[in-house]
Amino acid sequence: MVTTLTVHRARRFIAPLALCMALIAGVAQASASTGDAAKAFVEDVSKRAIDIISDKNTSKAEREAQFAKLLDETADMDRIAAFALGQYLRTPTPEQKAEYLGLVKTFIVKVYVTRLSDYNDEKLDILGAKEKGDKQAIVQSEIRFTNGREPVTVDWWLIKNDGDFKIFDVNVVGIWLAQEQRSTFTSVIRNNGGDFNALLGHLRQQIDKAEAGEIPSVNASN
Amino acid sequence: MKITYRTGRRSAAAHAILAFALLFGLAAAPHAAMAADEPAAQTSANDGSDENDPLEPMNRYFFELNKFFDTILLKPVATWYDGVVPEPGRDGVRNFLDNLRSPVILANDLLQGEWERAGTTASRFGINTTVGVLGLFDPAADWGMPQHSEDFGQTLGTYDVAEGPYLYLPVLGPAPPRDLTGFVVDQFFDPLTYIYWDKAKTVPVTRFVVNGIDQRARSLDTLDQIERTSVDHYATVRNLYRQIRKNEIANGTRNFDDLPDIENLNFDTNEPDSPRIGF
Repeated sequence: MVTTLTVHRARRFIAPLALCMALIAGVAQASASTGDAAKAFVEDVSKRAIDIISDKNTSKAEREAQFAKLLDETADMDRIAAFALGQYLRTPTPEQKAEYLGLVKTFIVKVYVTRLSDYNDEKLDILGAKEKGDKQAIVQSEIRFTNGREPVTVDWWLIKNDGDFKIFDVNVVGIWLAQEQRSTFTSVIRNNGGDFNALLGHLRQQIDKAEAGEIPSVNASN
Repeated sequence: MKITYRTGRRSAAAHAILAFALLFGLAAAPHAAMAADEPAAQTSANDGSDENDPLEPMNRYFFELNKFFDTILLKPVATWYDGVVPEPGRDGVRNFLDNLRSPVILANDLLQGEWERAGTTASRFGINTTVGVLGLFDPAADWGMPQHSEDFGQTLGTYDVAEGPYLYLPVLGPAPPRDLTGFVVDQFFDPLTYIYWDKAKTVPVTRFVVNGIDQRARSLDTLDQIERTSVDHYATVRNLYRQIRKNEIANGTRNFDDLPDIENLNFDTNEPDSPRIGF
């Protein structure tokens, strides 16, 4: 930690020296800044997400559009979509794959705008960050509630894509969400004799149901 | 997203199922370890938690059956309970039931070698039974001893017993061999089992029913949301159950080392896998 601060200060004046020091400091140096970068990334993403979800003046469609944009910028959607297919990853044709990628994005936006709708104006505290290899990091955080409800732990699994962090999976009170999606997606394909179109059909159905307003935009009772 | 599939004490009402469960659970347990290894070897992106459901058609049938009874009976009653009984009342019921379960939690804390948690459980029982008026209140939580739950299924999990093939039963819900065995063993840790051994089962049955209603009432919104946002409700519940159990066994300690390898995962470069058709 002390080295980090020193290096940061030094960089302002003599960048080349700082670079040398960073190289010498090696792994410890790299880990500190990777962790900090990961934390800053999560701080930013969660703030933007909470802002979108909390703004009840916007329509549901607008909120979904904003959330879709946020996911586009901050989540590794292609990797998530690939992961969610499990052992069926290689089965779709190029056309099916293209349609799947589109549907899965829409589906995830609709699901999470709904599921997150009861987190209003809450605060997310970053607890710490752990590195996982040199391309991945896990940021641990906690949502604290003002009404005395037990805090909810949220872990963010990040992966570096061209040097930038992207979200791969989010763990809420011990549940990995991408793993949950994968289990249902693979189950649909498996139970339809390996037919990839069955999954596309189910996704379209879910999205249509959401469009028809069967998923409430705001959690009414509480 | 907190879902409570806590296996509270199920009563004499389910005795027939239990007798079957005991036989089945004990008989099935040794297979569990072998069965669990097989799907894990399939693909690097598969941690083995998605399959291992050889009785899926039967499980799905019971799942739909439970859903039917939930729709016509449990959910309406739970909704009514949630609306009519004020929150302090419901909390009193929850605290009382939790306190009654303390001996089972204590036994499992001890069997897991969790001495500190065992101390917490014992202190909680002492404080809440006296200061907390027979367990209706939970002053211990305010004094830095929050409630935690344990069951023998979790204890077996800490002994590295695999969960085994998924099993979904009427009334009980998700009950794979390890957890079903645990549920049966837990009955023997419970003093009430012996107190009402050869007496009328009114008290245990009431406890079972009230526990079910209270738990359902506490998860009305969550379970609705999950059902509405699931491509395959059965598969979602199966996965959530497995993840929740894994997390409970770890007592909430996250282990990030056994996560699937995703670094080289994409549509183009991942090694070809022959799709497993059927199951």
